[in-house]
Amino acid sequence: MKSALRRLVTRPGGYIPLIWLMLLTFCAAFPAVVATHEPNAADFTAILEGPSAEHWFGTDDLGRDNYSRLVHSSRTAVVAGLQAVGTALILGVPIGLFVGYAGGWWDRIVMRIVDAVFSLPGLILAFAIVAILGPGITNAMIAVGILFALRFIRLTRAMVLSVREEPFIEAAQLSGAPTHTILGRYLLPNMYGPLIVQTTISLAAVLLIEAALSFLGLGVQQPDATWGSMLRAARSLQRDNPITPWPPGLAITFTVLAFNALGDALRDVLAEGRGGRKKAARRGVAVGLAEDAAAHDHEHPSEEAAGTGTLLSVRNLDVTVPTDTGRARAVRDVSFDVQAGEIVGLVGESGSGKTVTALAVAGLLPRGLAVDPRASITFDGRQLVGMTESQLAGVRGTGIGMIFQDPTASLNPALTVGFQLAEPLRIHGGMTRSAAAERAAELLDRVGVANPRQRLRDYPHQFSGGVAQRVMTAMALASEPSLIIADEPTTALDVTTQQQVLELLVELCEDLSMAMLFITHDLGVVAEVCDRAVVMYAGEAVETGDVYGLFAQPCHPYSQALLASVPLLDADDDRLVTIGGRVPAPNEEFGGCRFANRCELAAEICEEGPVSLKPLEDEGRLSRCVLVDSAPANGGKS
Amino acid sequence: MTGAPNRADSPLLCVEDLVVEFRGGGLFSIGAEKVHAVRSISFVVGQGEAYGLVGESGSGKTTTGRCVLGLQVPTSGRIQLGSDDVVELRRRDSGALHRRIQAVFQNPVASLNPAMSVEEILAEPLRRLLGIRDRSAARRRSKDLLDEVRLPSDMLDRRPTELSGGQAQRVSIARALAPEPSLIVLDEAVSALDVATQAQVINLLADLRDETSVSYLFIAHDLAVVRHLCDRIGVMSTGEIVEEGTASAICHTPTDGYTQRLLAAVPVPDPTVKRVRHGLVNS
Amino acid sequence: MVRTFAYRLAAAVPLAVLVSFLAFGLVHLIPGSASETILGDGATLEAVAELDRQLGLDRPLHEQYWNWVTDAVRGDLGRSVITSRHVSDTLIERYPVTLSVAGGGLLVAVAIGVAGGTVAALRQGRLTDRLISLGTATGLAVPNFWVAVLLAFYVGVQLGWLPAVGYVGPTESLFEWVKHLIMPSIALGLGSAAVVARQMRGGLLDVLDRPYITAARAKGLRYRRVVVVHAMKNAFIPVVTVIGFQASVMLGGAVLVELIFGMPGIGVQVVGAVLSQDLPVVQGVVMVASLTVIVMNVLIDMSYAYFDPRVRLA
Ligand SMILES: Nc1ncnc2c1ncn2[C@@H]1O[C@H](COP(=O)(O)OP(=O)(O)OP(=O)(O)O)[C@@H](O)[C@H]1O
Ligand code: SF4
Ligand SMILES: [Mg+2]
Repeated sequence: MKSALRRLVTRPGGYIPLIWLMLLTFCAAFPAVVATHEPNAADFTAILEGPSAEHWFGTDDLGRDNYSRLVHSSRTAVVAGLQAVGTALILGVPIGLFVGYAGGWWDRIVMRIVDAVFSLPGLILAFAIVAILGPGITNAMIAVGILFALRFIRLTRAMVLSVREEPFIEAAQLSGAPTHTILGRYLLPNMYGPLIVQTTISLAAVLLIEAALSFLGLGVQQPDATWGSMLRAARSLQRDNPITPWPPGLAITFTVLAFNALGDALRDVLAEGRGGRKKAARRGVAVGLAEDAAAHDHEHPSEEAAGTGTLLSVRNLDVTVPTDTGRARAVRDVSFDVQAGEIVGLVGESGSGKTVTALAVAGLLPRGLAVDPRASITFDGRQLVGMTESQLAGVRGTGIGMIFQDPTASLNPALTVGFQLAEPLRIHGGMTRSAAAERAAELLDRVGVANPRQRLRDYPHQFSGGVAQRVMTAMALASEPSLIIADEPTTALDVTTQQQVLELLVELCEDLSMAMLFITHDLGVVAEVCDRAVVMYAGEAVETGDVYGLFAQPCHPYSQALLASVPLLDADDDRLVTIGGRVPAPNEEFGGCRFANRCELAAEICEEGPVSLKPLEDEGRLSRCVLVDSAPANGGKS
Repeated sequence: MTGAPNRADSPLLCVEDLVVEFRGGGLFSIGAEKVHAVRSISFVVGQGEAYGLVGESGSGKTTTGRCVLGLQVPTSGRIQLGSDDVVELRRRDSGALHRRIQAVFQNPVASLNPAMSVEEILAEPLRRLLGIRDRSAARRRSKDLLDEVRLPSDMLDRRPTELSGGQAQRVSIARALAPEPSLIVLDEAVSALDVATQAQVINLLADLRDETSVSYLFIAHDLAVVRHLCDRIGVMSTGEIVEEGTASAICHTPTDGYTQRLLAAVPVPDPTVKRVRHGLVNS
Repeated sequence: MVRTFAYRLAAAVPLAVLVSFLAFGLVHLIPGSASETILGDGATLEAVAELDRQLGLDRPLHEQYWNWVTDAVRGDLGRSVITSRHVSDTLIERYPVTLSVAGGGLLVAVAIGVAGGTVAALRQGRLTDRLISLGTATGLAVPNFWVAVLLAFYVGVQLGWLPAVGYVGPTESLFEWVKHLIMPSIALGLGSAAVVARQMRGGLLDVLDRPYITAARAKGLRYRRVVVVHAMKNAFIPVVTVIGFQASVMLGGAVLVELIFGMPGIGVQVVGAVLSQDLPVVQGVVMVASLTVIVMNVLIDMSYAYFDPRVRLA
C-alpha cells in the first residue's frame, strides 16, 4: 500500500487531482480565510457587476460576491459527498461481505432486490426520497447514500465471490483460520484497491447529484449558496452578467474531474502493483542493448546454405520485449530451418521464447514486441522481415496455417464455426458462399468431425476441447498451407485426446505433404511426432538436430539435464535428475553462457563471452556450448 | 515404487462407498439433473503410504480430494481418518481435522494470499492449529519449515507475487507441513510446473515422505508422475475407480481397458518407440 | 421474437411488483398523512380524519395497496392533491416530451460513444487516443444541466441557431421536433457518451488481445476486417450493458434538461410535486419511469442474444 501511495503522488494523474482536492478541503474547512467577502452580505451598490479587482468573479443580483459564495459553497459539496459516500460505505460493504460470503438464499434475495433497485432511474428515486423526507441537503444526501450503497454491495459481493474461489482461501481454512479472520485478513485486504477506486468515483457521482438537486431547488435552501443553486440563479442572470454560470460550473467540473482522475490513477497504480513487479534477479546484470548488439553480429552458423528443399529458414532472430528495466531480448540469435514436409519441434521450458519465436515467424507478434531488423526469416523464398502487415497477411493466408494452444479461446465465440471456416476460403480462394460452405464441410470431415454439415451452424462453445482443436486444424488447412505452425496444440487436452489430435496432425502432414513447426514443452510429444527438434533455453536455441540423435545422445548440458528430468512410465524407481535454480528472464544478462549458473560442467571459460551455436561432429547437429563439442558416448540416459 | 510394502494393512485413511452428487445450479433448478461427480468409490491409504489417484479431467478426482479434506460434504459414504469420521470431525472441531490433514493445490501462486508475506502465511497454521502465538518462536519454526522444503530463509519476507512457480509451490508444501499432519492431499500439485521444476518438487516430496513418514493422497492426470511418487494407484474414470494396484502393476500389467488406453496415450520421450509416427519409423 | 419479448416481459413482472411496493410505500413513509398535507397546518383533527376516510387512508395497508394497484393497472393513478387533476392525464400529456429528450440523449450517447471509443482503441496510445481520453474525462465531469444552461444561452439566445425554449410534437412538424430536440439531446447525451466511449475503448482493446483475434489474423485476414468482423461484435457485449444503465440515467437527466429548455415534459410537475409533497404525482412518475426502464432492460437483454450466441442457446 505504501509504495502504491508513493507511485500515486509521483504521477501527474495522481498529484494534480490531489492538490485540487486538498485546496477544496481547505476552502471547506476555513472558508472565511479564503473568501474576500461575507457570502450572504447584499450590496445594492454593486449589483451584477463583472469581474473586477474587488469582485473577482463579479456579483449577483443582490450584489453578493460570487467568489466568496463559491468558496463557501465548497463546504456543502465536501460535506454532502462525505455524508452520501459514508452512508454508502457503511451500509454497502458489510452487506456485500455478508451476502457474498454467506451465499445461498441470503445472497439470492438480497441481490434480486439490489439488481431491481439498481436498474431504476436513480435521479427519479432520489426525487421520491426527497419528497418523503422534505427538501434539505442532509436528507437528500442520506437518500443518495442509500442508493449508492447498492453499488458497494454489488462490488463487495462480486469481489468476495471471485476471491472466495481462490485456492488461498481454502488453504486458509485448512490452516485453521476462522471465518472472521478469513473475511478480515484474507478477503478485505484484497479488496481495498477496487473499494478505494469505487469510493472516489462515487464521490464524483454524488457531487453531480447534489448539484442537480440544488439546481432544482431541492437541496440547500436560500440564502446559503451551493454550486448547484448558484447555477440555478445564473440561468436568469447570465443575460445581464454572462460570467455568472461559469465559476460554479467550472468548480463542479474540476472537482468531479479530480475525483475521476484520482480514481483512474489509483486503478492504474494498483494494477501495476499486482502485475509482474518481480524483482530482477540479483545475478543477472542488465546490459544495454547497444552493447551486446556488437557481440550479436557473429558469423552465421553452418546452416547458412539452405538446401533446395528448405521451406522456412530463420536466421539470427532477435525479438525484443518491454520489461520494467527497459527493452530486453526475449529471443536471441535463433536460427533454424524447416524443410518441406518436415516436422520440426521447438521445445523448452516456460518462458524460453518458443511462442515468441513462432509468432515472429508468422508476423503476429503482439503490440510492443519487435523483431530486430537484422534478422532474416525466409519462407518459400520470400523475406518476411520488413514486410508490411498486409503483405504478411497475404503470406499467412496462402502459405502458413496456425494452430494455437487453447482451441476454445482461439475460436471467435460470436461467430459460427462455418463462417469462420469459410471466411479464408472466400477471401483468399475467391469462392462463392455456397462453394466455401461445401469446402468447409469437407475440411471438417477431413479432420474427423462427425456430422460436418450440421456442425457448421454451431458456435464454438458447443464443441469440446478435442473437437474444437480439430476445427482449428481444419481452419489452418483451409488455405492449403505448406507450413503449419502449431503452438502447444495439445497442452490443454487430456492424454487420450492429445494422442488422437497428434495422430491427426501427423497424418495430415504426411498426406498433404505439409511441413510443421511444432511447439511443445513435452519432450515425450517431441519424440512422438517430430523429425528434428530445436531445444530452446532462455531465448536461445541451445541445440538442434535429428530427434534420434538428440534423444539418444543429447550434447548440450541443458538438453541432457532436461531429458533426464522427465518422469518415465517404465523407470525403475530412480530419483529424477534435477536442474537447480530457474530459467533467467529476458532482462537478465550474463557475460557468457546463459546456462552457466545452472550448469554442472560450468567452468571459467563459459563466462568469458557469448557462446555461439556451433556444428558438432555428428552431421546436422548444432550445439551452443564451449565445452561439449561432441555427443557423449552415453548421453543423458544413464 | 516397485516392490514397496503395501502399507494398506495399517490404514490411515479409509474411504468407503463415497458418492457425491451436484445439482445443476440456478435459482429455480429444483428439478434440474443431478451430476454424479463421484459414484461409489472406496480406497484405503496406509500409514506412510503414497496413494495416487489418476484419471482424465472430470473423472471426479478433485471432488474426492475435497471430501477427504472436509471441504465438500459427501452425498453418502464414509471417510474414516484413523478412528474418526472426517465429516463428523470437521463439524465438531475443524482444527483437529486440519492438524491431521493438509493440502497442496495446483496453481502455485493463487494458493498463497497476495496480501500476506511468506512469514505470515506460515505463521497462520502455526498459530491457529498449534497455538504458537509467540512471534519469534513462529519465525524460528517457519525458518525450519523453509529449510525442510529447501528454500533459503530470506524468503520469509517475500510476497507471493515475488516468487517463481516452483518457489511458491514449496511455500505451499511448507504450509501444509506446518502442523505435522499425517496425510497431505496433493491435488495436481506439480501439474502447473515445468519439467525441470516438476522434477525438483517430485524429489522433494519423495524425500519429505522418507523423513517424516507422512502419507500422500496424490491426485494427478499424468501417470508417469504418479508412478514416480506413489506406492499404489487407483485409476478413476467417470466417477469410479476402474482399477487399483501397485504402481508397477498398473503401469506394467494393466488389466482394465481404460487403464490400458490411458497408458498407451502417454507420450514416451524416446523416438525409437514412437507410435504416433510409426509410419516413419518403419520406412 | 415477439414471443421471447412477451416471455421476458413476463419474467420482469416481479420487478414491476417490487417497484409498485416502493412507490406505494412512499406515502406511508412520510411523516404525517396526505390529508394533513392537503388541508394544511391549520386543519382540525376531525377534518383530517374525515379526509382520511374519503381517501381510504384509514383502511388496512394491504387493502389500500390492493386498491391502489388495481386502479393503477386500469390506468388510474389517482389525482394530484394540489391540482386535483388525474395524474394519468398529466402523464399522457407530458411524458412523451420527456421520452423524446431521453431518447435523443441516448442516441447522442451511443453514436458519439461507440465511434469515439472505437477510434480511441484503434489508435491506442497515439495523439487521437489521448485527445479522446481527455474528451471522455471532461464529458464525465461536466454537469449536463450546466451544458444545457450554456447551450441555451450561447447557441440558442446569442447565436439564435436553434430554439432555446419550447417543444413541438412530431405529429405537428417532424422537422421542428428534431430541431427542438438537438440541443437538449446533446446536453443530456454528452456525459453518457463519455461512459459509452470508455467502455467501448476498453472492451475493444480487451477483445483485440484475445487468442481468437490472433487466430483470425493467422488466417491472413486484413486487420480492418479482423476488427470489424471479429472484434466489434464481441466488444459490444459489455457496451450493451452500459447502454442499458445509461437509458435509466437519461430518463432522470431528461427531467432536468427539459426544465432548462422550457419544454412541457414531466420535469416541472415532478419538481413542483416534490416540493409540495404531492405524493400521487411522485408515485405516478416513479411508476411510469421505472416501467419504462424495465421495458428498456428487457429489450437490452434480448439484444444480448444477437451479440452473444451463448445467451441465445442457454
Ligand atoms: N507481450 C509480451 N510482453 C513482454 N514480454 C513478453 C511478452 N510475451 C512474451 N514475453 C516474454 O518473452 C519471454 C518468452 O516468452 P514465450 O511466451 O515465448 O515463452 P514460451 O517458451 O512460449 O513459454 P510457455 O511454455 O509458457 O508458453 C518470456 O520471458 C516472456 O515473459
Ligand atoms: S558453455 Fe559451459 S556453462 Fe554453458 S552449457 Fe556449456 S558447459 Fe555449461
Ligand atoms: Mg508458449
